[in-house]
Amino acid sequence: MKILTATKAKTKKLNKILSKKSIYLAIATGLFAGNAAAATLEEKIELLQQEIESLKDQVQSAKPNNASGGISGLANRTTIGGYGEVNYNNYSGGSTAKDKIDARRFVLYVGNKFNDMVSLRSEIELEHAIASAGDEGEIEMEQLYLDFHFTDKINSKVGLFLIPAGFLNETHEPTTYFGVERNQIETRIIPTTWREAGIAIYGEVMPALKYQVGISSGFSARKYDDPLVGIRSAHQEGSLADAEDLSLHAALNYTGINGLLVGASVFTGNTGQSEPGIGNERLTIWDAHARYQTGKFDLRALYARGHLNNAAEINNATGRTDAPSAFYGWFAEAAYHVWKSGEMDFAPFIRYEKYDTQARIPFNSVRVNSSKNKVWTVGANFWATPQVVLKADYQVYDEKDEDLFENRGDKRFNLGMGYMF
Amino acid sequence: MKIVCKKKLQQIGLVMFLASPILLPAETYLTPEQFTQSVFASTTTKSDTFWVTKQVASQAEQILGHAPKQLRIKFWKNGLQTAWILNEIGKEEPITAGFVVENSKIVQASILAYLESRGGEVRHANFLKQYQGVGLRQDSQMNKTIDGISGATLSVRAMGRMARLALFYDQISRVEAK
Repeated sequence: MKILTATKAKTKKLNKILSKKSIYLAIATGLFAGNAAAATLEEKIELLQQEIESLKDQVQSAKPNNASGGISGLANRTTIGGYGEVNYNNYSGGSTAKDKIDARRFVLYVGNKFNDMVSLRSEIELEHAIASAGDEGEIEMEQLYLDFHFTDKINSKVGLFLIPAGFLNETHEPTTYFGVERNQIETRIIPTTWREAGIAIYGEVMPALKYQVGISSGFSARKYDDPLVGIRSAHQEGSLADAEDLSLHAALNYTGINGLLVGASVFTGNTGQSEPGIGNERLTIWDAHARYQTGKFDLRALYARGHLNNAAEINNATGRTDAPSAFYGWFAEAAYHVWKSGEMDFAPFIRYEKYDTQARIPFNSVRVNSSKNKVWTVGANFWATPQVVLKADYQVYDEKDEDLFENRGDKRFNLGMGYMF
Repeated sequence: MKIVCKKKLQQIGLVMFLASPILLPAETYLTPEQFTQSVFASTTTKSDTFWVTKQVASQAEQILGHAPKQLRIKFWKNGLQTAWILNEIGKEEPITAGFVVENSKIVQASILAYLESRGGEVRHANFLKQYQGVGLRQDSQMNKTIDGISGATLSVRAMGRMARLALFYDQISRVEAK
């Protein structure tokens, strides 16, 4: 029994020694292995960095799937932007119109990216600060379309979009052009801000040569009521637009030489819209434009022309006596960035414009005052940042600038502020 | 005649409408790997990490007009050249551009990804060539005027910010290396 007890005690001792030894051995082995294979501090940090980078990539690639809805996905998918301008117009030179200060435009842009291919683009605009029955202000959809991005060569837009005519129609934020007011040609000959509802295909024919072709709503001759803005008063702006007659448009723009843009556009369609007494009054508006930005110079020129068939019939159907058969205008502008400091930029400019909104009239139309005019504008833009601009200019009209409601004289001093974000 | 013409227009519109969502998915230009391989002939060029410390971040903010989003940036170094891949938003979408800097001047600018719907002209070689030889003035502006692109103003500005940032980061990385 004693022997058995002694043996057990020995065994215990041995076990203790063995287990202690094995622990030491394990520690020693671990330390040895650690010294040989484990990373230095720098290596460990690098490994962690790689792991973080890989996780970041995974998070990035997972976003579209996770961003299916709700506020959490909003920041990743939705873009809010906008632009606005407040202008002061001081009329003189035989004016009977009152000087005006006007919160001209407040535009809110909301875009949403559904996935890498499909986006929504929308712009809602408040003009003249108040929109009510007793005020001139309006709330309008400037754009509302789905953009399908496929390749550089072929993309499409479906919905209410801006027609790619001239410089300003698609890019009309106040920070992007000279002068307090938009130029006369891209207001009276090319309607501003001109949008139609339909579908367009756009992209690059080859590098630096962009195209757009589309089919959309067009004008309605029945709505024509102002000879001083060409045919603009007959555009439908996607508001319960008659779609009996659809229109086609095409545009080409080339930017293959640094600083140079050369482009042209055409829009054509019948304006009858199956109204009684109005037949196939085809309207065609086309333009050619060029801009050259080199060094401190910024030069632009544009020519635009419109033709309206059977204008006499439009007079008969609408009871008016001033519908034009043709209208045209052109301008040339030169600006010089005289001073730049950081983001600030000061550039004086000069512009000459000539237009005639009744260049040809049918036998039953009469000419109205100031449908034909020439305008000199001198002024300057001051960008406090690229997105904020203050403007001042002085305009001299060849004839008094009158419309059906007021006479704004032949001289004008304008001040304006604008922004975009 | 009018009815035939109207029907044709409606048919064209319908075909365009139906065809629009079944075309090919978006193109990509260059992956970061393709960009670095195009820059450095040697495939063994390893990436390094650039740390955007508080001081660097505050100077970067002056260049970008907003705080830099990445506090650690992967870049590549090979002899005198450093290569940077940066992101900036043009109007709505990020533009990914790569810049190679040597002797404090840009020797190559490339677009790796461009998702904006307008302003894609910044991808073209004749525009990007303008950045060759551009350096940074003391006021952190570029020492050369880049001719703009009408209708692509925001993308051109985003490219300018990234070019200046790449030059600035290159300067700092060299100081740190010393």
